[in-house]
Amino acid sequence: MTLSVLTELETAVDPDRADAALAAGGDTAAFERLYRRHTARVHSLSRRMLGAEHADELTQDVFVRAWQKLALFRGEAAFGTWLHRLAINVILGRRGEIARRRERFSDDESAFDRLSARPTSADVKLDFDAALQHLPDGAREIFVLHDIEGYKHEEIAQMLNISAGTSKSQLHRARMTLRQHLR
Amino acid sequence: MNQHWTDRLSEYMDGDLSFTERVAVERHLADCAACRETLADLRAVVAAAASLSDAPPASDLWQGIAQHIAPAQPGVVAIGARAAQRAPRQFSFTLPQLLAASIVLAVLSGSGVFLALNGSGRGPAVATQPPSNVRQVDTRASESYYDAAIRELEAALEQSRGRLDPATVEVIEDNIRIIDRAILDARTALERDPSNQFLNEHLENTMKRKIELLKRATSRS
Repeated sequence: MTLSVLTELETAVDPDRADAALAAGGDTAAFERLYRRHTARVHSLSRRMLGAEHADELTQDVFVRAWQKLALFRGEAAFGTWLHRLAINVILGRRGEIARRRERFSDDESAFDRLSARPTSADVKLDFDAALQHLPDGAREIFVLHDIEGYKHEEIAQMLNISAGTSKSQLHRARMTLRQHLR
Repeated sequence: MNQHWTDRLSEYMDGDLSFTERVAVERHLADCAACRETLADLRAVVAAAASLSDAPPASDLWQGIAQHIAPAQPGVVAIGARAAQRAPRQFSFTLPQLLAASIVLAVLSGSGVFLALNGSGRGPAVATQPPSNVRQVDTRASESYYDAAIRELEAALEQSRGRLDPATVEVIEDNIRIIDRAILDARTALERDPSNQFLNEHLENTMKRKIELLKRATSRS
């Protein structure tokens, strides 16, 4: 069998795993394929967590970090799952720095009140995504992690170094605020 | 509607309340139209969040990534202040190593077809897992252990091959040849880089797959 035939077989079984193995060997073309397949999810996660203005930089940082850590990918979980968790870690690791850079960490209570306007666009989904950005940082992160990314309160509490009770109450406040947006 | 009940609605919706609390909330909801409306709104928020779709970046970010990961660039300078402190990546995989990895995938496909066609059964009484302490202490010890298991299974298969369908024997032998090639490639690569963790694990996994194939084959005879 030739290498190309074997690679075709491998790709048919699990293209992500095959490309991850090739990329771990230094194949940047394989890594680019991984980037193409996963960039939308990473970019959307970055945008929702820390804002559109930082999403490009964070996405690049996530993929550079993934390249550096590919040797640690054991294939026990899907590559997308591994990358997603890595992205969360990168994003959470950068949030303090980004908040300092923009000289604010919008956890002030008034942010909840500012988000009472109804959608101005017919595209509710787009508006909903935009509305997220007006939530206070902490509530937005919890809402994204819980209601969009599917993490449990206990996991979120560990990630953000808060109590599960705080996670629950912040989530409820975020939902109550966003509810006005959808009415 | 009052704040006490409203504050419990998210937990109620998420199933985070105790049985007693849930019953109390449901009793209140039965009598409170405002809370029922709020609950419906909260459910709409959760549904909207779940239906959000992912969008790619407006511009292609690959070039920015590529310039930070190019293997030819010594001392990679990564993005951002934190990333700049990271150590450069160091990998040195060869074509045989990649070939070995690819072969295993091919074997998995081939043996998967074989096993699917022939079903599963109990293998002979050969211990195919080294003691966990051996594996943790010395990969070479695990390798010897697997070698012994393979020899025993090969002997069992040889004795019983007359009872197998010739076409099945051909499939088994084809797969074993591919696995043996993968094992040889991995061992060759390990001679040059004995401490490479990926290669050590790869060799171990390949040997395990050979054992599994032999076990299934002997169980059919």
